[in-house]
Amino acid sequence: MPRWLAHVIVVLLFAALLAVAFSRVNYAWNWTGVWEYREKLLQGFGVTVALSVASLVASTLIGMLAALLLGSTNTLLEAVGRVYVELIRGTPLLVQLLIGFYVVASAVGLENRYVVGVLLLSLFSGAYMADIFRGGLAAIPQTQRDSARAIGLTPWQSFRLVILPQAIRLVLPAVAGQFVSLIKDSSLLSVIAVAEFTLAAQEVNAFTYSTLESYLPLAAGYLLLTLPLSAVSRLLERRYRYEA
Amino acid sequence: MRAISVVLWGCLFFVAAAASAAQPLRVGMELSYPPFEMTDPQGRPTGVSVKIAEALGRHLGRDVVVENVAFDGLIPALKTGKIDCIISSMTATKERSRSIAFSEPYLKTGLALLVGKDSPVQSAADLDVAGRAITVKKGTTGHHYASTTLKRARLLVLDKESAAVMEVAQGKADAFIYDSLSVFQNHKRHPGTTRALLRPFREETWAVGLRPGDAQFREQINTFLKEFRAAGGFEKLGDEFLPEEKAAFRAQGIPFYFE
Repeated sequence: MPRWLAHVIVVLLFAALLAVAFSRVNYAWNWTGVWEYREKLLQGFGVTVALSVASLVASTLIGMLAALLLGSTNTLLEAVGRVYVELIRGTPLLVQLLIGFYVVASAVGLENRYVVGVLLLSLFSGAYMADIFRGGLAAIPQTQRDSARAIGLTPWQSFRLVILPQAIRLVLPAVAGQFVSLIKDSSLLSVIAVAEFTLAAQEVNAFTYSTLESYLPLAAGYLLLTLPLSAVSRLLERRYRYEA
Repeated sequence: MRAISVVLWGCLFFVAAAASAAQPLRVGMELSYPPFEMTDPQGRPTGVSVKIAEALGRHLGRDVVVENVAFDGLIPALKTGKIDCIISSMTATKERSRSIAFSEPYLKTGLALLVGKDSPVQSAADLDVAGRAITVKKGTTGHHYASTTLKRARLLVLDKESAAVMEVAQGKADAFIYDSLSVFQNHKRHPGTTRALLRPFREETWAVGLRPGDAQFREQINTFLKEFRAAGGFEKLGDEFLPEEKAAFRAQGIPFYFE
């Protein structure tokens, strides 16, 4: 059986299961209220896309920088990286957002909640990225570095041509998973009144009292963002395979 | 085999019947709106609405269970039968009436403004200007009012009342729209950074939320509210939970709650 066919069959099975579950609760559907607010939902979706793209880029950069700190031989730099990673990973994003926006950003005069939101979200996700990157680099055996030196590559060439391509292949699945989490975590930015997708759906629910009708488009919207991400990740994985 | 299934069905039936006879009244409210819905230091629900719910239970001869539900989840909880009624400082609005039924009102209040100390805003009309920022709590009548009437301003929708107040106190937003009592209390908490414009620019009434089909239940609740008011129950709750506010509102000539 070809792979695409297997996917279609499994998706249909899940859809049938959901359809049975929904038919059993006898829910009185009312889509007209939600349709009136479609523009609000679309705007929220747009904001979430923008937040996600900006945070993906920023968190990757932050993650790389922090991975360098973690791998540094300077104990002070290594400590900075470690404290950052543990502090961020060990505390709830909700607390980081509230303190980051109302206390830290206010103190330094950063007032734009969208900029602050992207920064905080990137710092949060960057901490997870850092350990993924550090792990990927550490997993390349020492013999690779030694061989690269033996054939006369400079340290930068050996990093770019030998270490990095292998490390990318190793970390791709974990990074893709982290990106998907990041997109969904962006929904928490609503606590500092960033008008993103989840908040839009919650508002529509509050105005129309049509809970499922407001939240099903929300689920579909997030899938629309996360599925292509997974597809791209699998494509890249294939490209970075040994044989290629 | 058949005998066993008969016994099993019998048991099931008996259990169901017993449960319905002693079924407590499940009252939904969000316990984050002191002094109406809150918890005491031991975590037990208390406040004006809890007292009303308990009095209602005594009137009906049923035990009362308070279900703590987020405000924008109250109506879905009622519609799906997770709770029997809502007593959560809920305004009886036209929009909500399309979805659920309401008892007679038990309390009158209105929307007011908590304004930043340095903001030039003097009335709700001053807010309908491009460049003004308004905070509201998600799903409240203030939220609805701002999104339908004050379209030119930037609307910041927050989950928590405290965050909405902080935005105004820090000067990030011009005004927070909420009922006059909350505005009064929040101003007392931030006297140096906020002003309270208490006179309601829109009157509202609070009522008990019910499922539309429960006509008999609605009558029972209306009878209870009438008797409770006649017996001075609301007056007493006001003296117990809101003595300071009552005096302050009377002094400013602003209509107060249970009147």
